[in-house]
Amino acid sequence: MISFLILISIVVCFSAILALALNFQWGLGGMVNFGLAGLYALGAYSCALLMLRAGANTFFATVGAMIIVAAVCGIVAFVTLRVTEEDYFAIVTLGVGEMLRLVALNEDWLTKGALGLTGIPRPLGDVVPPQYYQYFLLALSVALLLGTLWFLNALARSPFGRVMRAVREDDVVAATLGKHVLWARVRIFAIGGAFIGLAGSLHAFYYQYIDPTQFSNIVIAYAFMAVIAGGRGAHRGTILGAAVVMLLLEGSRFVKDLIPGIDSDQLAAIRIIIIGVGLIMLLIYKPQGFLREYRLQVDLK
Amino acid sequence: MLQTAFNGFVTGIIVTLPALAITLLFGVLKFPNFAVGAMMTLAAYMVFTLNVQLGWPLIAATAVGAVAFGGLLIAVDYLTFKPLRERGSITLMVASLGLGFVLENIARLAYGNTARSFAIELARPFRFLDIRMNREQMIIIGVSTLAMLAMYVLLTRMPIGRAMRAVSDNPALALVRGIESPRIIRWTWFIAGLLLAVGGVLIGMDRALEPPMGSSYLIAVFAAAILGGLGSPLGAFVGALIIGMVSELSTLVMPPNYRIGIPLCAIALILVFRPQGLFGQPYIRK
Amino acid sequence: MKKFTRRKVLKTLGAAAVTPLAAPFLNLAHAQGATIPIGVALPMTGNAGAYGPDMAEAAKRTVAKINGGGGILGGRKLELFIEDSESSASVAANLSQKFINVHKCQSLVGYWGTPEGMSSRPIAIQNKAVLMVSSAANAITEGDTQGYVWRFQMKATDWGIVIGRAVQGLGYKTIGVMGLQNAFVLPIMKNVEESVKKAGRTVTDSLIYNPEQPSYRAEVERIFGKKPDAVCCFGLLPDFVSIMKEVYRGGFDSKVVALSIMADAEGKFVEAVGAQVAEGIRHFQPMPDTSAAAYKKFTRLMGAPEDKLFLFPPNTHDQIAVTAMAMEKARSPIAADWSKQIIPVCNGPGENIDDVVDALKLIRAGKAINFSGAGSTCDFTPNGDQLGRGMGQWIIKGGKSVFVEYAKP
Repeated sequence: MISFLILISIVVCFSAILALALNFQWGLGGMVNFGLAGLYALGAYSCALLMLRAGANTFFATVGAMIIVAAVCGIVAFVTLRVTEEDYFAIVTLGVGEMLRLVALNEDWLTKGALGLTGIPRPLGDVVPPQYYQYFLLALSVALLLGTLWFLNALARSPFGRVMRAVREDDVVAATLGKHVLWARVRIFAIGGAFIGLAGSLHAFYYQYIDPTQFSNIVIAYAFMAVIAGGRGAHRGTILGAAVVMLLLEGSRFVKDLIPGIDSDQLAAIRIIIIGVGLIMLLIYKPQGFLREYRLQVDLK
Repeated sequence: MLQTAFNGFVTGIIVTLPALAITLLFGVLKFPNFAVGAMMTLAAYMVFTLNVQLGWPLIAATAVGAVAFGGLLIAVDYLTFKPLRERGSITLMVASLGLGFVLENIARLAYGNTARSFAIELARPFRFLDIRMNREQMIIIGVSTLAMLAMYVLLTRMPIGRAMRAVSDNPALALVRGIESPRIIRWTWFIAGLLLAVGGVLIGMDRALEPPMGSSYLIAVFAAAILGGLGSPLGAFVGALIIGMVSELSTLVMPPNYRIGIPLCAIALILVFRPQGLFGQPYIRK
Repeated sequence: MKKFTRRKVLKTLGAAAVTPLAAPFLNLAHAQGATIPIGVALPMTGNAGAYGPDMAEAAKRTVAKINGGGGILGGRKLELFIEDSESSASVAANLSQKFINVHKCQSLVGYWGTPEGMSSRPIAIQNKAVLMVSSAANAITEGDTQGYVWRFQMKATDWGIVIGRAVQGLGYKTIGVMGLQNAFVLPIMKNVEESVKKAGRTVTDSLIYNPEQPSYRAEVERIFGKKPDAVCCFGLLPDFVSIMKEVYRGGFDSKVVALSIMADAEGKFVEAVGAQVAEGIRHFQPMPDTSAAAYKKFTRLMGAPEDKLFLFPPNTHDQIAVTAMAMEKARSPIAADWSKQIIPVCNGPGENIDDVVDALKLIRAGKAINFSGAGSTCDFTPNGDQLGRGMGQWIIKGGKSVFVEYAKP
């Protein structure tokens, strides 16, 4: 049982990293990323392919995946935001995500298509003895999560963070103040992309087998739910949100054990309906989420 | 090749109705609605219930189903988007994404995952000018054209249509003229509901009824609306036809399984070169 | 004040989410030494959702029969944990972890689809538990499985060989091939094309299509437009429904060859397209040898008429039977021990036996056996593939599938 909790915690960790990335792009940067599932797949596949085809070790493969996803995000942001509004941006990201998944599915000379990539090595898989490996992976995941949190928080509190918030609130004003809006947005989206790549790499390490069906659009629903529940812009809240969403998902599997009458077909659909409705209700009633964004406190005396 | 062009024409025609719905919704509500795919799916299933489970003829089922669905959308808007009206298009977009998941899975919950079909007879094709056509395609073309004409009349001749265009162009000015926004919004959703329901039925006739059916059209529909210019009904029509035909013709030179890339490239190219599309107006925020 | 309230709400939500996890702690039935847990992952939803329920029923009845006959290892009873794999790789992987870590299963059975098998394979091998799949893709038993992965199904390449031979036998000279982008379709397509070419026939065109496309018009136009004698189409039910409707509406005459999971699916295909569109379609599916005594015993176990065709549930029956017998022979429920006894129990040499309870008695008496299962004779190659499986061929006439023949590769 403990083992199972450890494994679920690992999943929570990289799901939380994914949610943090989305929070960074959307909550802080004001850019909606509907292509999350495809970019997540890009991260996982890049990491796996770098290891399996190019023989990189897990560290360099992860870094490579982060760079690749960041680059793709940067390019998309640059090309799209140069000329258009945020509404179109969401549509474009949706399209990019779909294309990435199509490529993963169809280019089997590269990705083995529907068969998927198997036998993905794990970080220090040869060094740590098997019976302790899950503890190690948990420790590593938690460390990476905390590292992501620290990094993104530091960015949010830095001068760059203030620029981001200015751009998000009112980009016309920000531009008149001399801030280079487009460049700021590209950087935000790319940095978020790097952490999507990190989450994807951890996903690959955990499952050791990836195929296109693992990256369906439901991923987007979960990530948005986590971000909204936690409070847009508030990083700690996002982690809590991710944890709650994941626990709800995994926990609902056990519900079937308790109540044998539920049809699994219906349970799967009900789960998604709850997530969707929850998302909408949170947007309506609790847009600030459950924890507040870091705001500069100004004492007016 | 002529055959492929004709096939593309039919594909495009199917896309016109949802593209029109999106463009109307965007014009009046000012945000792209990502739930339209799922809306078409749910509407098609509602018609399925009337047609197959209750045994009504398809035309009657579609008519009643479409009206019911239009009403349903008004209710959905009241519950979901109205509270968020002041929040800005991004929040509305995310809400629409969530709504899409909910609607699609309600369909899945109620009808299961298996592919279904409407109770209509399939027919063999006939030849016209060396092109194979069949009865269903004729129905699709006929229905869509009628719908387009009706929309044209509505938007240009009827007061409600003119009011919709006024709100779309300039809400503040429209208000000054006494055009009441909430009423227009309700009508817009109702009409969009009619369009989406009929569109969903056409897709169900063309392919099969299954939960992902509407969402698989989402990118093509958006591409059509954007190409034509978000907010321009004529643009939606033209855009849909172009997208449909280019997609089908592309299979002559590239592997068919990347067909979906065509609408995506179209979106990217339009955004880079002419963001307002063919017939739209440059949208100026604030 | 507001912050405090919100925090409280989040905490409550979190607690609510965690509560279901307490469930396993309440399930104290398998105190050490009592029952032997077996994990069963079956698709109840998703693409393959139609097949799960019958396989689950077969598992339950087999276990009931074994437990009723005295159980194994000194009267211990088998206990099943049946879960929905949702036809998904990651769900199956999570389930496999749950079976091994929470329920302490040493045998994982079911695993109908290729993604489920592929994702669970490394988990099983790492944790030294036996994984028994009912999927076709070659890759599942490739490489070093250390004796922990066993396939209760015909390999994909064999499917291609049988279908290819049948297609030639029917006299088709030009053949078009189209397949769904899917893990088990591709080896089948490749083998069909190869065997057709070897026999001197022509493959007019071949293409791959994606699942959930808005329309398949272009694909149908390309393959059927060249007017081959026959088209082999391999995929799943939803896309096949769309494709066949296009074929009919396009007025194409080529004969269609498909798989039973698309063209039959417990009658759902004909229900979706109507008898006219389905007329003349041939479909293939690996099936048990329905003339064998073991199969007839199985239908009786399931409480069904003797001529009822069960495609997959016999495999589930065999998976559980083999687990029980191998454990009994090794006198141990630990997979590292009994996985080595699978081949002795299944291949023999020994007394031919097809009833699992009788087989267990013989094993306890120290006799050697050669088990024949409901799904096949259960003879394995060293790397876990099953030998001697055959394939059934049907043709749809008047809205019903009519059996044509049973053939082996």
